Amino acid sequence: MLQFARFTVTRAVMAVVTLVLVSLIVFTLMELVPGDCAERYLAYKNTQGSAITLADIEAERARLGLDRPFLTRWASWLSGAFRGDFGDSCILRVNIAQLLGDKFWISLWICLGSLTLAYMIAIPVGIISAASKNAVLNNSLRLISYLGLAMPNFLLALMVMLFSTIYFGETLTGLFSPEYREAPWSWAKFVDLLKHAWLPIFILGWSATAFALQTVRALMSDEIGKLYVTAAAARGIYGRRLLWRYPARHALGPIVNSLGFDLNRIFNELPIVALILTLTEAGSLLLEALARSNDQQLAGAIIFLLTAAIVTLNFATDILLAVIDPRVRKSILR
Amino acid sequence: MSLIDVENLTLQFKTDEGLITAVDNVSFSLAPGEVMGLVGESGSGKSVTAKSLMKLNPGNAVYAPESRITLHLDSGPVDVMSLKRPRDMEVVRGGAVSMIFQEPMASFAPAMTIGSQMVEQLLIHTDMSKAQARELSVEMLDRVGIADASTRFGQYAFEMSGGMRQRAMIAMALSTKPKLLIADEPTTALDVTIQAQVIDLMKDLVDEFGMGIIFITHDLGVVAQTADKVAVMYLGKMIEQGPVREVIRTPSHPYTQGLIDALPQLDDLDKPLMPVPGDIPSPLERPEGCVFHTRCTKIIGDVCRTTVPSWADTGESHRAACHLCHQGHRA
Repeated sequence: MLQFARFTVTRAVMAVVTLVLVSLIVFTLMELVPGDCAERYLAYKNTQGSAITLADIEAERARLGLDRPFLTRWASWLSGAFRGDFGDSCILRVNIAQLLGDKFWISLWICLGSLTLAYMIAIPVGIISAASKNAVLNNSLRLISYLGLAMPNFLLALMVMLFSTIYFGETLTGLFSPEYREAPWSWAKFVDLLKHAWLPIFILGWSATAFALQTVRALMSDEIGKLYVTAAAARGIYGRRLLWRYPARHALGPIVNSLGFDLNRIFNELPIVALILTLTEAGSLLLEALARSNDQQLAGAIIFLLTAAIVTLNFATDILLAVIDPRVRKSILR
Repeated sequence: MSLIDVENLTLQFKTDEGLITAVDNVSFSLAPGEVMGLVGESGSGKSVTAKSLMKLNPGNAVYAPESRITLHLDSGPVDVMSLKRPRDMEVVRGGAVSMIFQEPMASFAPAMTIGSQMVEQLLIHTDMSKAQARELSVEMLDRVGIADASTRFGQYAFEMSGGMRQRAMIAMALSTKPKLLIADEPTTALDVTIQAQVIDLMKDLVDEFGMGIIFITHDLGVVAQTADKVAVMYLGKMIEQGPVREVIRTPSHPYTQGLIDALPQLDDLDKPLMPVPGDIPSPLERPEGCVFHTRCTKIIGDVCRTTVPSWADTGESHRAACHLCHQGHRA
């Protein structure tokens, strides 16, 4: 038990170290963008009609602390980031934490929801289809999952919107009904969110499920062919007991391993779905910040938060893996 | 009274390339307490034959209707071919027949303790309580020479050495007191010194438990040490069988002779190695006539290429399927 605690602490420390390293990379990338916040803001002011001078820029730099050395700025950004304070947006001049508000968390929960949906379907179906010799079942599953892989998310989103508009007269867009949009969090608002969130979760989950299904099926087929399964059958174990206790249980480890990767993939797909469904979430904000307004502070904050989420998930899967796989567990305990 | 009778066992695999004959009209029987070595190169069908005894071959295996496998148990004969559902096969699988495999590492489930797999089997095949099953498992581990058996009981296969894993496998296979033990190259993956230990252990256990053993190997040296009788297979056909000493001293079939010549000789290191010439043909292109004629050095004419040789007696319970033997010659 003590060793397990030590393992958990070690992994947690490693996760934090990873985050610090990632923050250095993110911060460096933010700095690599030509120009800095002071120039960009004043250039923006300029387009709004106010005349600016070089002195104005210098003053703005000093005010923002951009005249300090790189490492100092990184350190102060990092210490803020760990407290959830990412400073002000370059262009909008609003505190980023305020600007992001719940958007990041809503995005994250939508992604986690899709991930859960994907694996809740993929694990049982993948296992059964790998074990089944039924050609009709296997081919139809294969067809469905190819459809899931091949059909772009935005097309699915558009189709769902089209059908819902025609048949229900409702577009199913957005994440909140108008009356809750600005309301403080309450149970009713949460329920309202769920009523809207199922659609993006379903759409994102659709291709994620197809992908996860292929993964689970391949891992499971691999396990079923192994000698220990034949050996167990030779001992008189059969049917569901053989399937779940032997290959399925042993395929679980690599499945758990693929979770962190999948979360990242889903988040990457979120913005385009969000755009179509007019969701206000962090992914589209990130695109906006990166591509349009060049708001490096905001983009950096979102990337850092996403990385933190993935690192946390990987930390969780590492612990889970140690719990379910004695080979990992014993290698720690030694 | 024999323990198991195999008659006309013929098995084909359905594949995309067509039907592949893996076992062709194989017959043999084994008495209780008897050890039979089943010898042949890779692809000769020895493992498939052995797995047929528990119907353990994959789903694309098709058994010919004339195939008969009869196990004579205390409760009466069991017609293995007629067992259709996995539930019915419980009697045979892990009950009357146990099997140990070539790679002891791969034949234990990696994420389950040795003990839990032993207990699971005992709970399926006996009326024991969990505590009794645990006690017997530890006893069996101890019996096969594993020190500190109760600790090992709670360990995983990856925590043991190769020899220890194979001992544990033997302990597990014998814990249900099977009538027949199938050992599929049990020592091939082990070091030579460990090999000898495992073979000795198996010999002791046969004497103690009085079961029959089918010992699959490509190593005639191992067969000579362990078996009472030997059967040689080539390309799914049984081509020679007889008492082990007789077969090794006076082999009747040119293939058996070839296998013996191919063994390295420690007492005559200058003697060149004599491999059996050629390669085993693809099972998709089984030769007509005698299956061995494409590699045989003693071919006696068209009869080898056209006619499947029948059994010829070449000694007491020693016979070979070769045209040469029908003409009174020996390999």
